[in-house]
Amino acid sequence: MEFIAFIIAIAVSYQALKGYRLTNERTLLYLHLSFLLLGAGLAIDGLANLIVLLVRFHRAFLFLSSLGYSINFVAQLVAYGLLVFAYIQQTRTSVSQVAMAAMPALLFEHNPVTELILLFLLVYIATQTGINYSVNKSAISLFVFGAFVSLVIAHLFFLFFTFSAPVFFALAQIAQLFGFLLLLAMLLRVNHRL
Amino acid sequence: MRVIQRESNEAKPTRILYGANLSHDRLVKYLEELKNLGVIQETGSDDKIYSLTQKGIEFLNNFRRVETFASAFGFKI
Repeated sequence: MEFIAFIIAIAVSYQALKGYRLTNERTLLYLHLSFLLLGAGLAIDGLANLIVLLVRFHRAFLFLSSLGYSINFVAQLVAYGLLVFAYIQQTRTSVSQVAMAAMPALLFEHNPVTELILLFLLVYIATQTGINYSVNKSAISLFVFGAFVSLVIAHLFFLFFTFSAPVFFALAQIAQLFGFLLLLAMLLRVNHRL
Repeated sequence: MRVIQRESNEAKPTRILYGANLSHDRLVKYLEELKNLGVIQETGSDDKIYSLTQKGIEFLNNFRRVETFASAFGFKI
């Protein structure tokens, strides 16, 4: 599932890069870098988990799962942080300044602190996209809003998973994939329209 | 460029001036730049009429696509 999300993230990143090359707008550069990082994080995490699965959870390889998660977390932190920064730059109000929590020392496994940080950033982004949809009322802005709401739900499930409820990991993956599929729908609609 | 396209791809300078809300000096400067970029061309024998080139039409379409994509996230170009 993470590989599908990776492909969609790269597609969104490429679309943003094309836009940046045409217009030189910084927000598009941030969008490009954000989704590039998201894609990279997903790919690395997915690959790490795949290797662990292929070696049938051999003890010597279990560290790869933790490493994959930590790289993915840092990538998502920077990616969503960039998006938040892009929105703040656009609105330029002191009310929307976000204080980034200091990174916890232990971020090698799914843990409530890392998930809360990502959740915080995602709720902000989802709110911004929700406001955008309420103004535009277009299908594509609804897809983007829906995508980030799904990612919020995914990270809520990841948070529940950290309290040792394994079923939530699967639900989180499904919600995450659904979010990226909504972004794919947005991309198809944007490119089909013209 | 949008003004030219709105006028069925043929617009006189006055129409562009009012449509784009520009001063005369700025209009002359921008029209010259757009001509040099190859996105518009001057037609008409007596009256100056401007129209989009194929390159200009493609540029506008691509720009619209970028605008639509950015607006999906709530960003304005």
